[in-house]
Amino acid sequence: MAAQRESALKGRRVLELADEKGAYCGKLLADMGADVVKIEPPGGDPTRHVPPFWHDEPHPDRSLFFLYMNTSKRGVTLDITRPEGQALFRRLASAADLVLETLPPGYLGSLGLGYETLREANPGLVLTSITGFGQTGPHKHFKCADIVASAVGGAMYVTGEEDDPPVTLAGSQAYVMASTFAAASSMMALYRSSISGEGQHVDISVEETTASVTHICGVGKWLDDGIIPRRSGTGLFASVPSGTYPCKDGMVYLMINRPLHWKALAGWINETTGNEEVLNPIFEGPSSNRQAYRDLLDVYISDLTCQFSVDEVYHEGQRRHIAFTPVNTASAAAQDPHLAARNYFIEVTDLGERSLRYPGAPYRHSETPWDIQRPAPSVGQHNGEVYRTELGVGGDDLRALEESGII
Amino acid sequence: MLQALEGVRVIEFSAGMAGPWIGRFMAYCGAEVIRVESANHPDVTRQYVPPWAPEMGTQPQLSPWFTDWNAGKRFIALDLTQPKAVELAKRIVAMCDVVVENYRSGVVDKLGLGYPELRRVRPDIIMFSSSGYGDSGPYNRYVTWGPNIEALAGLSKLSGFPERECTMTQYAYPDASSALHGLFAVMCALDYRRRTGQGQYINLSQLETTVSVIGHVMMDQLAHGREPQKLGNRSLHAAPHGCYRCKGEDSWCVIAVSDDSEWESFCNAVGEPEWIGDPRFATLSSRLEDVNELDQLVESWTASRTASEVMTTLQEAGVAAGVVQNAEDQMHRDPQLAARGFFEEIEHLKKGKVIATGIPLGLTGTPGRSGRAGAAVGQDNEYVFGRLLGMSPNEIRELVEAGAIETA
Repeated sequence: MAAQRESALKGRRVLELADEKGAYCGKLLADMGADVVKIEPPGGDPTRHVPPFWHDEPHPDRSLFFLYMNTSKRGVTLDITRPEGQALFRRLASAADLVLETLPPGYLGSLGLGYETLREANPGLVLTSITGFGQTGPHKHFKCADIVASAVGGAMYVTGEEDDPPVTLAGSQAYVMASTFAAASSMMALYRSSISGEGQHVDISVEETTASVTHICGVGKWLDDGIIPRRSGTGLFASVPSGTYPCKDGMVYLMINRPLHWKALAGWINETTGNEEVLNPIFEGPSSNRQAYRDLLDVYISDLTCQFSVDEVYHEGQRRHIAFTPVNTASAAAQDPHLAARNYFIEVTDLGERSLRYPGAPYRHSETPWDIQRPAPSVGQHNGEVYRTELGVGGDDLRALEESGII
Repeated sequence: MLQALEGVRVIEFSAGMAGPWIGRFMAYCGAEVIRVESANHPDVTRQYVPPWAPEMGTQPQLSPWFTDWNAGKRFIALDLTQPKAVELAKRIVAMCDVVVENYRSGVVDKLGLGYPELRRVRPDIIMFSSSGYGDSGPYNRYVTWGPNIEALAGLSKLSGFPERECTMTQYAYPDASSALHGLFAVMCALDYRRRTGQGQYINLSQLETTVSVIGHVMMDQLAHGREPQKLGNRSLHAAPHGCYRCKGEDSWCVIAVSDDSEWESFCNAVGEPEWIGDPRFATLSSRLEDVNELDQLVESWTASRTASEVMTTLQEAGVAAGVVQNAEDQMHRDPQLAARGFFEEIEHLKKGKVIATGIPLGLTGTPGRSGRAGAAVGQDNEYVFGRLLGMSPNEIRELVEAGAIETA
C-alpha cells in the first residue's frame, strides 16, 4: 500500500471542511501525496452514515462511500462554531496551503474564518469553496443536492430514454465533477501562489461545473443548429450509427465517427449476413450522410451482432478497428481482463484489519505515482498527532477540549 | 495580477475532446497552447458540415465544439510522417513545459515523439498521454470513444431506472471527466517540477478514470460481490428524492428532502401540514419504505405547477429543488447563470463573435478568459516558426514546399 516513492504533492498542506460536494476533491489531492486533514464535527461527519455499509452493518467506519472518498486523509474533530475551535482552526490555516470547504456562502466569514481574515495570517493561502450555486448571485443561498445540480446543470435533460423522465447518473456525478474542477483549479491557484506569494478565493459552483461538463449538449450547439439537445436513448445524436445492440448473451456498444470505420463495419455486416444493401455508397462518408437512415442501419447491425456473443463482437470488431465495447455490469467491469492486466484495482488493509479491493489510480505518473497513503480515518483518529504534536497543545488542554466538545 | 498559468507553454498532439479540452483550460488561464494538426488526420471538429447550410460542405472553422475545445490556442500544421516535420515538433517541445497527446496508443512513439525521445530534447518535460485503455495491457490498441467507455466501465448499467437495461448520456461523459482528471494530473506534475526540477510521463486510461469516478458505487461490488442497486432518481438516504412532472410539455423539477425537519418545511410549503405527522411519512425511514406512494403524492402537487414555481416555492422554504433545464432554459431562464455571467462571448475569426459555455474554474483572483476561436489550420505557422523558433521566411517557405509544414 504505502510504498517508498516520491509523491507529487508532498509538503502541500490541505484543510478539508467538506461534505459530499468536496470529499472527492480532498481524495484527489491526498492520493497524490498532499497532507489532507479532514476536519469533522465532534462525533464525526454525517457522510459516515451514507449507505451501503460493509456487510450492511451501519457504523461510522463502515460506510463504503466514506471509505472510498476519504482514502489517504488524516482525520480530526473540531467544533468551529465555538471561539476555541475557531482559534485552533486559524492556527491550522496559518500553516496551510489550501483550505477546501463546502459550507453555505458567507458562513465561514460569519465565524471569523473567511478568506479576508485567513489571508492576513497567510497571504499565500488558497481558499476553495464548493457550493451548489456559487458565492454570488440571486440563488447563492439555495439548497443543493447532487440531483438538483444535475437538473439545473443540464445533465438530466439529456440522459436516458426518449420517452422516459429525465434521469441522473449513479454515484452523484455532479458532485464528483465539481470536486475534480475544484482540485484542478486549486492546483492552478497554488501554482500562481508559489510564484507570486499571493493566494486567492476559488469559487466553484456545482451548477456551473455541471453545465460545463455537459457542454456538448449546451448553448454552443443549440445556438448553432437551433435544435435543443434532448435525451434519446443510447445512440449519440451526432454519430451514426451509435448505440447499444443485442448479442446472444448481452449487449455491445458501438460508435462510428469516421468514414473508414463505417466501411469496415459495412464490410463485416455484408460478409456475415449477406446484406448487400449495406454496401450502398449513399451510406458512406461522415455521420451526417447516414443520419436519415439511422433506424434502418440499426436493424442491419443487430442482424450482425445477434449472431455472436458479446466477447466475439467485441474482439472481432476491434480486430477490424470498429469501436465495439461490451455493456458491462459492475461485476464484469470488476473482472475486466484489461483492468486486471494493468493491476488497476488495489488491496487496502484498513483499521479493522480488513482487506478490501479498491478502485485504483485514475492516472499514472512515472516519477510520483498515485498511492493510497492510509485508509480513511476513524473519528478524530489524528487529533493527538495534529493538535498535540503539531500545534503543541498540552495533554491536559487536549483533554479539556474533548470534554467541552470543542474536539 | 498575472493569470494563473502565465509563462507556461504547452504543445498538443491531440484530437476530439479528451486531449484538447485540457489545453483549452490551460489557455483560458494564460498558458500559451500550441496545437499541432496534420492533413492526413483531420480532427473530427474540422470535418464539420453546417446543419443549417449543408450545401456549404465541410467548414473547418465553424464547429461550435471546435470553439468549446480549442478557443485561445495557437495552431500549426505539420506532416509528421516527414522527418523534417518531426524535428520542428521537437524544437517546439524544447520550448514547452507540457506535452498533451491523445492519439491512438502507440502512434506518438511510431512518429518519433514518444517520451524517451522528447526527454532528450527537454529533460524536464512533462508529457501527458491519454487513451481509452492506457498505454499497456492486452487491449490498449482498441478503438474507443467516450460513450464506449460509459458502457465498458459499468456506468451505463449502474445508472438509471431499474427497469431499463442501461442508461447513457448524450454528452460523452468520460471525455469530459478524463480531461478534467488529466488537467489535475498535469498540475500535480507541474507542482512537483516546481519543487524538484523534475519532469515526468503521465499516462491516463479513460476507462480507469471512469471507474474511479464511480469508485464509491463499485465498492459494493468489490466488497460484497453483488451488483450495486440501481436507483434511478431515488436515494438510499433521502426521501422524497426524485424528478417530478410539472405543468407543460416535458417539464420537470427535482426535489430532494434529506431529513425530517426539511420534510416538515416541505409539507408546510405545499400546504399539506397533515402529511408531517402521517405515520407513513413521519420519519425518513418510513418515507424510504413508502417511496412509491410518496412520489405520487409529491407529483400530485407538482403536476399543476410550473417547474419554476415548484423550485421557487420549495427553495423559499429551505428545501432543495431544481428545474430540469435544457440549453435554452440555461441561456434564457436561469437568473443565477445570468447574474454570474456564465456564458462567455468569444471573438471568432469567421463569425465575429460566438457565445459559448463558460469555463467555471472560479479563480476570482486571476480570472481566466478565452482567446479567439475559429482559427484556421496552420493559422499561427508564421508566429510559431517565425517568431518562436526564429526561422527565416526562406526556411519556412522551403519546408512548406516540401510539405513538412502544412497550410490551410
